[in-house]
Order: sequence, then C-alpha cells, then structure tokens
Amino acid sequence: MAIIEVNNLTKEYKLGHLIGLRQNTMNVLKRLTGRPIHQRETFKALDNLNFSIDEGEVVGIIGHNGAGKSTLLKHLADISKPSSGHVKVNGSVAPLIEVGAGVNPELTGRENIFLNGAILGIPNKIIKSKLDEIIEFSELEQFIDTPVKRYSSGMTVKLGFSIATSMDADILIIDEVLAVGDLAFQRKCFDRMERLIKHQGKTVLIVSHNIRQIVRMCSRVIMLNQGSVEEDGDPNTVCDRFYAYSNDKIEAEKQKTLGQISSDSDICELVDIQQVAGEGDTHEIISGQELKVKVRLKINKTIRKPEIVIGTHTTDFVYLTGDSTSQNLTLDELQPGRYEFTCTWPSYPLRAGVYCFRVVVFNEIRGMLLSGEGLAMFKVLPALQEAHKPGLRLLDLPVNWAFETQSPDT
Amino acid sequence: MLKVIKDLYSYRELIQALAWKNIVVRYKQAYLGLLWAVIKPVMLMLIFTLVKSFVGIETGDIPYPILTFAALLPWIFFQESTSEGINSVTSNAALIKKIYFPREVFPLTAMVTKLVELVISFFILAMLMVYYDMMPTVYAFWVPVIILYTMIVALTISLFGAAMNVYYRDIGQALPVLLSLVMYASPVIYPLSLVHKKLIVEQAAGSWSDTFYTLYTLNPLAGIIDSFQRTMLKGMAPDFESLLPGFILIITLLPISYIFFKRAENWFADVI
Repeated sequence: MAIIEVNNLTKEYKLGHLIGLRQNTMNVLKRLTGRPIHQRETFKALDNLNFSIDEGEVVGIIGHNGAGKSTLLKHLADISKPSSGHVKVNGSVAPLIEVGAGVNPELTGRENIFLNGAILGIPNKIIKSKLDEIIEFSELEQFIDTPVKRYSSGMTVKLGFSIATSMDADILIIDEVLAVGDLAFQRKCFDRMERLIKHQGKTVLIVSHNIRQIVRMCSRVIMLNQGSVEEDGDPNTVCDRFYAYSNDKIEAEKQKTLGQISSDSDICELVDIQQVAGEGDTHEIISGQELKVKVRLKINKTIRKPEIVIGTHTTDFVYLTGDSTSQNLTLDELQPGRYEFTCTWPSYPLRAGVYCFRVVVFNEIRGMLLSGEGLAMFKVLPALQEAHKPGLRLLDLPVNWAFETQSPDT
Repeated sequence: MLKVIKDLYSYRELIQALAWKNIVVRYKQAYLGLLWAVIKPVMLMLIFTLVKSFVGIETGDIPYPILTFAALLPWIFFQESTSEGINSVTSNAALIKKIYFPREVFPLTAMVTKLVELVISFFILAMLMVYYDMMPTVYAFWVPVIILYTMIVALTISLFGAAMNVYYRDIGQALPVLLSLVMYASPVIYPLSLVHKKLIVEQAAGSWSDTFYTLYTLNPLAGIIDSFQRTMLKGMAPDFESLLPGFILIITLLPISYIFFKRAENWFADVI
C-alpha cells in the first residue's frame, strides 16, 4: 500500500524581494484599470513530480544543490504547500529536517528534551518513560542539567538527534543529519537508523550527499535534477548515474578554468601538459590500461639537480599517485630551453571515474619552483561488465580467481 | 467550530510546553523572577493615583488605587497578550520552517503565557483587597468568564495581526503603539460609570449622547474592565448593556480573523 503519494507536485517561488505596500496598491489599481502589472519572475523548485512510496521502503533522495530535495521533504512534512498538484501522506511523519530546530539555548538539556518532545508531538508520558534512554544515548549525563547555551555545538546536535529518533512515527524524514558529532557518535546514529529501518519496518526518506551511505541503507533511490525526477529505482544504478552526472559537471566546469599553477619564481614555466592517447578520445582510457602523459617545460635559468613529480588526483583533490624523476631518470642539470618529459604508467588500475594530473618541479635544495594541480583531466572507463556495479571500491587490481568443489553433498 | 476546539485540545501539551518555555526563558536569569510580571501594573497604579490627586476623577465609593489596579489587571493582560500574539508567529520562524502543527498554537501560547503572569497579579489584588478590607462576593465567580472573554478578544486581534505581520512587519511595530492609545479610550484611568453619567444621565453631547455611548462600548475592553471591577470589588453582576456592543463585534470578527489566519498559514513557511 502506498504510504506516500505525490501527484503532479509543482512548487513555484517568486524571485526577488517581497513587494511593498505602495507597489501592491499600484498593482491593484492597475489591475482595476486593465493595465499590465509588474510581475515578479517565478522559479520552479519542483516541477511536476510524480511518484509513490510503499510502506516499509527506505528511499534515498539525491541530487545536486538546488535540485529540490529539501523542498520536496518540506512538502512531505506538510510545512510548505504545493503551488499545484497533491501530496498524500497516510501516516504520521517525524520530521528530522535539521535536527535541533526546537532546541532552546536558555533551557537545560533535560528541559529541552521535554520541550522538543512536545514540539515533535510525543506525549509527555512517553517522554518520561524514555528519558533515561534518551539521556544515555546522547552521552550527556553529566551536562543534562546545564543550559544548552553552554554546550558545544557537537553536544547540541547529539541532544537533538537523540530526541528526534526516540519519536515513534510511521514515516521518518532525514535531511543530512547522519553527519553529526564525532566518528563514534556517527557510528551510533547510523546503527540506530539501521535498527529503525531493518527491525521496525518503518518508511524512511533520506536526503544526503553521502552517496555511499545512501547505497548502503536504501532500497530505492530517487535522483532529482532541477525539480524533476531524473532517475528512480535501484540504488546502485541510480547512484552510478549520479556519479556520472557529477563528474561531467566537474569536467565541464574545469574546462573553463584549467588548473591552478603557483610558482614562486620565473625560473621554470609549464608550457603544456597532454595525455598521450592509446586509441579514440584522448581523454579516456580503460581501467587497467596504460596511461601516458607528456609535460613540456620551459626553463629560463639553469637548474642544478632538478626533480620533477607527475601525479594524479581525484576531482576532490585526493592525491592518488605521485612519481618522481629521481626514481629512474638522472638529471644533473637543465640548461635554459624547452624540454619534454613523458611519463608512462603501464597499468592505471583505478576504478572508473574522472581524474586530473598534477605537476611539481623542485630544485637541488628541494625548493618548489613550480606546482600545479588539476592541470588536465582524463576519464577512466570501466573494464568489464559486472553484475554488481562498482562504487564500493577505489582500485581495480589484477586478480586471479580459483574455484573447486571440495565435498559434494550427493 | 467544535472541530477546531477539539483539534486544539489535542495540542494542549504542546501549548503547555511552549508557554512554560516562554516563562522559564524570560525569568530564568532574573533574580526577582516572576515578580517582574507585577511591576508594570503596580507602577502604573501608583502613577495614576498620583495623577488622580491633581485632577480629581469621580470614582464613587471604591478607593481609587484598588479601582485602577482592578482595571489595569484585565487591560495589561489584554494588551500584552495581543502584542505577544501578533509577534508570536514571526518570532518562531525557526520552528515554522521545520515542523508542522496548526500555527494558531503560537498566538494561543502567547495568551496562556500571559495568563500565568495575570495569576501572579491576582495575588497583589488580593493583598490590596485585604488592605482596604474588601471581601469578594459570590459574583467573583464571573471573573474566569470575563478573563476567557478577554482572551477571545485578544485572540481575534492577534490571529489577524500575526498573519499580517508575516507579510508586513509594520503590523508588529504599529499595533502595540495603537493599543497603548486604546488604553485612553478604555475605562482604565477613569471608571465607566463616569462615562455613563456624562453621556446617559447628563446627555453631555446632546442628541448624539446615546450613539456615543454605544460607540464607546463597542470597544470590548470597556465592558470587560467595568465588569471586572463590578464582580470583583463591588459585589455586583456584570453590566450586560455595556458588554453587548463589543461582544457582537467580536463574535462577528473572530471567524473572519480565524479564516484569514488559516488561509495565510499555507504560505508562512515560504514567506517568513
């Protein structure tokens, strides 16, 4: 049975500032006299959404910033009203939209538990019976009678999360709240969420940018883009599509401002960096194949014993490789002039995705002459067709499988 | 109508908790605590008594300080719960954007909060009555009804005002100023009997006198304050003649104000 039904949901916002009283009266006058009035531009935050969610489903909602995720949750929680269309929710909703909305800094932790309980609609009796459990979960036993204004921000969030998850509702709505507290507490929150999902069979909606978490917890993922449903279905498929979209977006943006180079002197200049293609499009290789890159440098002053490092990193600047000329190339001295260095990795075993090159040039005393990252982009394509799509790994190492039947049952 | 009340009844724990929060937050770090709630009526009573000794106001056989204090009690309750009610929605913007419950909970909470402060003021009134050797009569049982009516009047104004204030913050600024002017049009400094005597008995405004008196009592506070003084101090039944015009006005406005609020409510989260 569908517990949430969304039909043709559209939400429009008016852009710009609220018009004043004068403008308002003018508009009324103009409307009366039949003259055209000044209309503010509108923006469609949600554009004709249609989907339904069954009881017990755990649905992840992903999308770029501004895709309409939070707006959608607001409609499901009945906070905003649609411009057109319908949202039908058959059950009680526990909104976790930003934990700690109702936490008052003047009140103590204990008082806040009661206040927030009332705000979330938990009867007083239930709060009383759960009080010890909430305090224990929040790890704030020692501070529970101190005003929240003296808490650290992490403590406040812990308190908020502990109260919110003690609520007994049919539908839980979670907006980026698993990223609370330190690692140990995050682990605890995650476990509690999983317990709620797996054992109590609740319907859960999660909004998160942490795609890995979404893949692990959800049974279905909806991807929003500019207010409409772009993909809807199996978590792995949808999340892979999302990764692809994100990478394309980053690539498109990077092409505009290619790389940042910083150099302290004009001793050395980067002329050009180019990936040498195997076949087809220069920017693509297949995972595990050879990767080759050419770097052209212009040297203006003699450098003694230079060292050049060429490396790769992910689009979010996790350094993956970094290989120095000192490994197997002897450079005593570089006279002024132009040089070309070629670096070849016989096998580049990273999983499919978009990566970038970086280049660093050092002199004799390991002073940095030139450093640049995000200099050129290349794409690694998946090597084989797997049933379980990648996403839960970083490396594609060579592997040998073996198989034998040890003791047949028959 | 009944459904509205039933729905609100199911939110009584929330209203309780929010009102309790308002009070705790306001007085927590104050040494005198809830005593601050009675400072305002006591100060005003002293000032009015001082002024009265210069200008002379006919007050009948009730001592002026206690008469004006009994007027200030319902008046301040009305004035503060209305001002608080008007600002209650905008000052809870964080909650409105995060969680849904019927938004009229906020103005109602403002009323309940002020009700607690009113109860404290009653202790001062009781002390004054002991001092002037006055005994409450059986008519004092009217007082809860009068207070409830005052709350309905305050609610009528704050529902409309709170909704308007979300769109135009001018309302939150202007209404408290307007309300302090209304005090002079209400029998706070002078008793209603004086107005009655001038207009009805002496016909001071000629043939317009009766109309003026009706217009004056169209202000529900005129009847409320007078009835409060009569039932509490004079041991008399409320004067229904002075209550009626205001009552008719409020009964007509309350549904309009409520419907307006419920309509505006849909866009609170987007506009606030």
